[in-house]
Parts: sequence; structure tokens; C-alpha cells
Amino acid sequence: MEEIIIDIDESGEISVETRGFRGKACLEESQFVKDLLGHELFRQLTPAYYITEKIKTKKYLKLCG
Amino acid sequence: MINLSHISKIELEIKYLDALIYACNRLGFEFVENQNTYRWYGRWVGDSPLPEGISKDELGRCDHAIKIPGCTYEIGVVKKNNMYILLWDSWDSKLRLAIGHNAGIIKQAYTAELVRYKARLKGYSVLEKKTQKGIRIVLQK
Repeated sequence: MEEIIIDIDESGEISVETRGFRGKACLEESQFVKDLLGHELFRQLTPAYYITEKIKTKKYLKLCG
Repeated sequence: MINLSHISKIELEIKYLDALIYACNRLGFEFVENQNTYRWYGRWVGDSPLPEGISKDELGRCDHAIKIPGCTYEIGVVKKNNMYILLWDSWDSKLRLAIGHNAGIIKQAYTAELVRYKARLKGYSVLEKKTQKGIRIVLQK
């Protein structure tokens, strides 16, 4: 499941996290929240950000000729 | 466990007056549109830093105001560069308690109201819960 999580503490500090996205989609999907609220001060990308979709490839063996 | 892909810190800019009004309703505060002054000590004595972009001559004047039950002083809402700046005199301890450090409680309610409304328009389901540190909003598609 893909989630955007917004935490707002008692002093008004806001952090935005994305979970369940693969690759750059998390930045695209959460941009509307950032635009809505103000501007981004800091961003940290985690290893999940660099995971790409698995691409299926088919290999054909030449049987003759 | 769902993989965390990135974390961002956001500096809040209050741009939507409707969401600020909803935030006041949520907190039991009264938003008074077009009230041009707000109640405070009356002159700046340097006991707290001036908000960015505000001079001491501008204190006491506003475009709208927020009244908080039980508080003598009020909050001024000033429109500047398409954003709204909140002004208040933190000498009033009841006001300080009601709005939290740096008006964090108002900012929290504003963020929650704005995100809930706009995220639903974009087709997200929205969950809101209280946490130890504040409020958590979870958007799911």
C-alpha cells in the first residue's frame, strides 16, 4: 500500500514521509502536499527510493539455423 | 512493514484563509474577518523577536483577528506577499498556553484541515490520529 504520512508536532513543525512507493514516484506523489503547506527545508532519500520496478525480459534460444 | 522511501521537513506558509478559519473553529477560537486591530500591550518592548517581514510600526494592525475565549490579548492575521502572518503578544500567559509555542497549535490545526480537504479532492482516503508529539495524517490511495 502507498502512503503519504504527515506529522505535525505541537510547535507546528511538519514532516512528510512516503511509504510503499518505488523510485521517484514518492517525490511526485507527495509534491502536492509540500506545495500546499509551504516549502521544503530538508529531504532525505532512503534505500527504498532507489528500488526500481522489476523489468521482465524474455530470452529466445535459437533452435535451428 | 512498508518501506519508507523519503522524509522531508516543511516550513509552513499560511496561504489559505478558509483553512485558517476552519482551524479556529476546530480549536474553539473566534475568527473575526476584517478586524483591523488586535488587542496587545500597545507598544513593542523588545521582549520577543519581530516576525520576519514585520516592522515594529506594523504591530497592532491586521487584516483579520482571532479571539480566544478567556484571553485578554488577541491574534492579528496580516496578509503579506500572498501569505498570512500571525501576530500576537506572548505576554498573555493564557494566550501562550492556548496557541502553544510559536502558535504551533494553530499551525497544527491549519495543516490538518487543509491537508484533509485537499487530499480528499485528489482521491486520497484520509486518516487522522493523535500521537505523543502532535497529529499524524495518513493519506492512502
